[in-house]
Amino acid sequence: MLLPESMSRIVIVGTKSRMEDAINAFYSEKSIHIIDHTTGDDGLSIGTTTEATSKASERLIKVRSMEKELGINKHTKTADIAVEEVQSRISAGDVEGVEDEVLKTVDARNDLTQKITELNSKKNTFELLKRLNELTLDQYSGYKSLAVLVGTTTDDASSVSIEDAEVFSSFDKKEGGVVAVFVKKENKEKAFAALADVGFTEIQVPACTEKVAANEACAKIDAEIEAANAEIEKCNQTLEELKEKYMSFLKGCDEELAIVVEKGSVPLRIAVSKYSYVIDAWVPTKKMDSVKANLERKLGDDIYVEFQETRGRKVEETEAQEPRFQNVPVKQNNGRIVCEYEYATSLVSVPKYNEIDPTFLIAIFLPLFFGFMVGDMGYAIPFIILGAYGLKKTKHKDWRAIALVLFFGGIWAFIFGLFFYGEMLGMHFVGGEWEAGTWVWHENHVAVGGTTVSWDWILGAQFPSWFTDAICSVGAWGQEDPNTFGVGVGKLEDVAFLLKLSVYIGVIHLLIGLVCALVNVTKQHGVKEAILEKGGIVFVFFGIIFLCLALTDMMFSKLELTGGTPLIELVLAIVCLVIGIVLNAKAEGGMQAIMSLPEVIGWILSYTRLAAITMSKAGMALAFNYIIFGMIMTTKATGNFQDGVEIVAFDPMGGVIMLIVGILLFCFLHLVVWTLGILSAGLHALRLQFVELMMRFYEGGGEAFAPLSEVRKKTFFSKNANNIKEV
Amino acid sequence: MATAGTEGLIAIGAGLAVGLAGLGSGLAEKDIGAAAVGAITENPSLFGRAMIFTVLPETIVIFGLVIAIMAIFVM
Repeated sequence: MLLPESMSRIVIVGTKSRMEDAINAFYSEKSIHIIDHTTGDDGLSIGTTTEATSKASERLIKVRSMEKELGINKHTKTADIAVEEVQSRISAGDVEGVEDEVLKTVDARNDLTQKITELNSKKNTFELLKRLNELTLDQYSGYKSLAVLVGTTTDDASSVSIEDAEVFSSFDKKEGGVVAVFVKKENKEKAFAALADVGFTEIQVPACTEKVAANEACAKIDAEIEAANAEIEKCNQTLEELKEKYMSFLKGCDEELAIVVEKGSVPLRIAVSKYSYVIDAWVPTKKMDSVKANLERKLGDDIYVEFQETRGRKVEETEAQEPRFQNVPVKQNNGRIVCEYEYATSLVSVPKYNEIDPTFLIAIFLPLFFGFMVGDMGYAIPFIILGAYGLKKTKHKDWRAIALVLFFGGIWAFIFGLFFYGEMLGMHFVGGEWEAGTWVWHENHVAVGGTTVSWDWILGAQFPSWFTDAICSVGAWGQEDPNTFGVGVGKLEDVAFLLKLSVYIGVIHLLIGLVCALVNVTKQHGVKEAILEKGGIVFVFFGIIFLCLALTDMMFSKLELTGGTPLIELVLAIVCLVIGIVLNAKAEGGMQAIMSLPEVIGWILSYTRLAAITMSKAGMALAFNYIIFGMIMTTKATGNFQDGVEIVAFDPMGGVIMLIVGILLFCFLHLVVWTLGILSAGLHALRLQFVELMMRFYEGGGEAFAPLSEVRKKTFFSKNANNIKEV
Repeated sequence: MATAGTEGLIAIGAGLAVGLAGLGSGLAEKDIGAAAVGAITENPSLFGRAMIFTVLPETIVIFGLVIAIMAIFVM
C-alpha cells in the first residue's frame, strides 16, 4: 500500500498501584503511541514522576559527567554488557563508587593544573628580574620606610632621575626595559610620575625571604613545574586506566538509566486520578487485537483497554474530532528495501496520514534516473561495489542513504551502460561497421583521424555478433534518424533522440505525480472535489503535451498544421487546454489558471537535464580518452586506407614510458569524471524527485509514529527474553 | 538549413543562450544557497526543503539549453 498504515485509537485505564508494571508492558509492545494529556475540566490531572526516576536522573547526570571527563563518547568502542549486571551494579552503588574514584583523580589533576598556572606566572616575573642581576630576591621586600617599585618600561629608564632613590634598570630594544626603584615611601607618587615618562607598568614581585638570585629561583620553579607535569601525566594514566576499566559499565549505565528516566517520565504525559490512570493512545490497526490481548494477559483485572475508532483518510472525519485527536501519527508502510529510502522522503517531510507516501516512487525512480545519467558500465562497477560495501558496513542513516543510491543506481548504470549506450569508461564497445565485407571505422573515429575511441580499436579485435546484437541503437527504436550512430546510443551523437527520450520519461514521471494528486484528493474529499481541484491541471498538462507535439511536427518534421496528425493534435490540445483553464479558473481564480500554462512547460523541460548531464559526462570522458589514446599513447600506421585517410592502430608496446604515463593519467582522469558523476547525477536525480514529482501531490508535515520502545545498543538481556515482570 | 557562413553565428548564439542562462541561474541560486546553508546550520531537518528552493532556478538554464539545441538542430 502506498498510504501510511491505518491507525486505531484506544483508551487504556488502569489502577495506579500497578502503573509501573503497565508502563513496562507498554514498552514491550513497541506499538503504543501515547497522545499527550492536556488538563481540562475532566477532573483528571497530569501524573508525576516516581522517586526512583529522580534518583536515576541524578545518577544519569553523574554518569554523563564521568563519561565527559574520561573522554568516552558515542564513537568509543566498548564491549556490550548484560542488563542484569548493569542493574545489579547500579543498585549496589557502583555508580557512586566509580564517581569517587574518577573525581579523586580529576580533582588532583585540576589542582596540579592550577599549581602550574601559578608557577608559570611566578616564573615570568623572575625571568624579568633575572636581567637585574645585582639584586637578590629577598631585597625586593621587607622594608619599613622604603617603597619598592618594580616593573617593565617601554623606554630606557637609566636616564630617569628620582630624588633620594636608587634605580636599577636594564634595557633591550627588542624586549623592552626592566626597572626596580627603591624610594622613600613619601616620594612614591613622584617616582611613579617620573617613571610614567618611560612607559612604566608595575609588576608584583612574590615575597621571598631567601637570599637567592632570580635565575636560581627560575631553575627551582622549572623543576617544580616538571614535577607537577609528571604528576599530571600520572593522573592522566590513572584516568586512562579507569576509562579502560569502566567504559563498558558507564556506557551500559548511560543507556539503562536513560531508559529508566524515559519510562519514569511517562506519567507526565498521561492523566491520573487518585487511584487510577487514563491513557489515550494510537495503535496500528493490525496490531490492535494483539496489543489488547497482551496487556490484559499481563495485567489481568488491573487494566482495561477500550477500542475508540479506526481513523479513515477523509478530512471531514478528522475535523469532527477534538483537537488533540486530530493529528494521527504516521507509520510508513514500506517493504524492506523501500523503507531504506524513507530517509530521502524525511529530508522533505514526514507524509501526512491521509496522503500517498512517495517513498515507493523515489525508490524506483531515483536509482533509475541516476543510472540513466551515468549510463556507463565502467563507472557502474565501482558504484555497485562501493554501495554494497557501504550498505554492509555503515549504520549511519546519511551514509546508508548514499550507499543505497550508489548500489541500485550502479546496477541501473550497468544495465544502461551495457545494453543501451554500449559503453565503458566513456568509450563505445564498437567503433565501426561491416560494409561490403570490410570493416569501416566511423568517420570521427580516432583510427581515421577523428576524436572518438572505442574498445574494439584498443583491443584490436571485433566483438562477437551475439554481444553487439544485445546492445540497442537508435535505429532499433524505429527512428530513422540520419544521425544514427552505430551500435549503442551515442551520448554525443544521438542528442536529439536522448532529448526526446528525456522529455517522454518526464511526461510519464509527471503523469504519475498527477495521478497521485488525484488519488490524494479523492481519498481526502471525494471524486468530485478531486476533479475540481486537480482535474484542471491534468487537462492543462495533456493540452500542453498535444500542443508541443503539434509544434514539433511543424518545426522539426516540417508538416503543415492544417491537416493530418498535427491538426488532430492541435484540436485535442485546444480542447484539453480550454477544459483545464475553465476548471482551474473555477478552483483557483483566472490569474492562477493562466499562470499554470508556462509552469507545465517548465516541468516537462526540466527533464531534459537527464540528457544534458549524460552529455556533459560523455563530453568530458571523450576529451580525456582522446588525450590519452590519441595524444599520449602511441599508434602505428596499418598501411590500409579508408576514404583516402590511412588507418592507424593502437600500439601499446610502442613506448613503455608513454604507456605507463597514459595508464596513470587514464585512472586519474576517469576518477574525476566518476566523482563528478556522483555529485551531478545524484543531486539532479534527487531534485527530479523532490521538485518535479513530489511537488505535484505531496504536502507532508505529518507526525512520525513514535511508539514507546526501548532502544538498546550497548546492553542486552542475558537471562530472559524481556524484562517485563509477567503477572 | 543553415549555410556554411551562418553556422558559426548559430554556434555563438547557442553558446550565448546556455552561458547567459547559466549566469542567470547562478545569480538567482547564490542568494538562495547562502540563506539555505544558514537555515540548515540552524536546523538540519530543513535540508530537503532548502534543497528544493536552492535548485528551483536551475530550470532557467534548462530553458537556455533547449533554445541552444533548437538553434543547432532546427535552424
